Amino acid sequence: MTQRFRLAIIGTGLITQGSHLPAALSSDRVEVAALVDSVADRAASLARSYGISPRIATDVREVLGDIDGALIATPNDSHAPIAIACLEAGVPVLIEKPLASTSAEAERILAAASRTGSVVAAGYSTRFRPSTVLLKELVDREYFGRARRFVHQFGTPGGWAPLSSYNLNRQTAGGGVLVVTATHFIDRMLNLFGMPEGVDFEDDASNGPEANCTAYFHYGPARHGLEGMARYSKTTRLPSGMAIEFDRGIVTLRDSDDAEIVFAPSDGSGYSQVIRTSPAPAAVPDSFLEQIHDFVDACRNGSRPRVSGQEGLMSLQLIERLYAGRKRFSEDWYRDDAASAEGRFANNRIAA
Amino acid sequence: MKVAIFGASGLTGATLVERLIARGDCEVVACIHSSGNAWRLARMGIALTQVDLLDEAAVKDVISTCTHVVNCARGDEATMFTGLKHMLEASRAAKVKQFVHLSSVMVYGDPPVAASVDEAASAEPVEGTYGWIKLKQDEMVEAAARAGLRATVLCPPNISGPYSHYVQTLIGSINGASLAIVDGGGAPCLLADVRNLCHAIELALERGPSDGKRLFVSDGTALTWAQLLAELEPVVAEGALDRLARIGRAELAPLLQQAPPARASLKRSLKHLVSSEVRAAMRLDPMWGKLDGVMRQSVAKMGRGMEDKLRLSIEGTTKVRRKSRYDGLDLRLSGHQLRDTVHSNRRVTDVLGYHPLVTPQESMAAFRRWYRKHQGMDDAFSDLTARLA
Repeated sequence: MTQRFRLAIIGTGLITQGSHLPAALSSDRVEVAALVDSVADRAASLARSYGISPRIATDVREVLGDIDGALIATPNDSHAPIAIACLEAGVPVLIEKPLASTSAEAERILAAASRTGSVVAAGYSTRFRPSTVLLKELVDREYFGRARRFVHQFGTPGGWAPLSSYNLNRQTAGGGVLVVTATHFIDRMLNLFGMPEGVDFEDDASNGPEANCTAYFHYGPARHGLEGMARYSKTTRLPSGMAIEFDRGIVTLRDSDDAEIVFAPSDGSGYSQVIRTSPAPAAVPDSFLEQIHDFVDACRNGSRPRVSGQEGLMSLQLIERLYAGRKRFSEDWYRDDAASAEGRFANNRIAA
Repeated sequence: MKVAIFGASGLTGATLVERLIARGDCEVVACIHSSGNAWRLARMGIALTQVDLLDEAAVKDVISTCTHVVNCARGDEATMFTGLKHMLEASRAAKVKQFVHLSSVMVYGDPPVAASVDEAASAEPVEGTYGWIKLKQDEMVEAAARAGLRATVLCPPNISGPYSHYVQTLIGSINGASLAIVDGGGAPCLLADVRNLCHAIELALERGPSDGKRLFVSDGTALTWAQLLAELEPVVAEGALDRLARIGRAELAPLLQQAPPARASLKRSLKHLVSSEVRAAMRLDPMWGKLDGVMRQSVAKMGRGMEDKLRLSIEGTTKVRRKSRYDGLDLRLSGHQLRDTVHSNRRVTDVLGYHPLVTPQESMAAFRRWYRKHQGMDDAFSDLTARLA
């Protein structure tokens, strides 16, 4: 029997507690060999809560000789130094999205991987959803005809609160809601349609990370003039999911592991169809477990990871293009109603 | 002026932070409970102070450096009481110049009693309700004021304007046809635009009284519910207003009466212990499972009639709920139309010189602009995003 893959998980915050560690422990091919966190107590406490005894360390360099691969789930701006330390020691890495906080850092990661011939996989777990895989196949086959327009939205009033609060800092996160939330869709969009020719972007940031943003994508003649829009919010609930207008109708796909592709033909019938593989999968797989197994396969068999480091870099490059063309949208909600009233009030006070 | 704002990530707190920073003449310490809800503040690139109100020392640390304190914080009962106690004690110790506390018209009951046109009306909310918690908080602030803390208690109704959770809830309820229109929507819907409320807070910080007594703050005039729904028509689904159920006040009021909590008794406890739900949970344990099996066999030996008799005495007959015309209606939200008291701004005008900055119509127009932008209702892809609704 093949020896279990010795995995170190670097960073024991919420995403590790809720997703990566349970997925790794459910695998019959993986052994959680080490938990690494700058706060050793947090790592030790997490290990105790699962009744496991991995090595506990505060620096990945302490465990590099005893592991077959590392899963990096730390704040975005620490991905590069940790990943490079692993790669320089010949240890492959699976890096929680986004690959780094800038494309320059991501390029340094890929350069280190290239020097040592080690695997870099980008942790975009939503690519392992069956519906994502099926939609890609349908788009490539032009099953519904050519794509003409698409939208994607996701918005909640608040939510995810990482233990380190790195997400509220533009420097540590590498951006705002576009990086924290939209990056999953950016990756899927690049996978579906490739890099857009032109982009437009507006958000509500003033010095900090944006809480709301809208991005527009223009694909040009190579994609027959495909146009897209994506909107994200950390303050407002938005009906979430993706809708694509094809020649033959509109496809909608919600944002969840078990979401199904629904096709509404433009034949005027008013009917909708659920598009499934045949036979339908018996159960919805755990996308985080699938991601770990894909990484293990890449390390052991030399296969290409489903989301390569190069694709992780492309996502960051597109995000940086969007930020480079950023416009701030007006928040003059009261127009001059309240401003003039406040002026009137001030005048009254002065008169009094 | 250095102002500590607790509950800074909420609707009022965040709007106040934005306004005070824009004024540029005061320092703001924005205190938040969790980073998850603080995005509206974070986008300004300001330092945020994460404080657990239950941590007395942490609250003291923040307030000791400030001259003014505003409490917009919400939370569970423990946080509301213990957190406020910590804030009041720290404010007295730091000799802050003004403590502004946000109360709610719900202290006068739900619906508020008719006499609460005036703040002096008797406040007797049902124990354990939100209004009761707010009343007890008000009493704590007033006691602190008697002990020497300069304190103002502002008492708004539901809050409107951009980012208003309340107005968004109404839109959801209209689109989902769960809101019923009561008596043709003729009752007043008293709201406080968030800009008006923040204006009152700023006045209280500058010139607030020291007695810690409640001051109503609202938009002054109220739209009727019918007018409010008309204001929302441009942002709700097409035809949604026509699909709303209609109900009479006399019909709705009894439906909102809460059943009294079950009284504890030995008979009730024994019935619960042998109910099928409890036994199913106990059967997961091998020993209890075995015992349950023996009991069931013994009962089965008594014959079907006896078995039925025993079961009926424990669980009663199977109840099938009749379909009702109220199914799918949000009676609690619809019941807000019974809150028809227009609380007067007279005292806040006399004491603080407060006059609303925006009218209810201007407030709703501002909300619509904000909502349309954030929901992308006016862009070239709105037909596609509508497919996701």
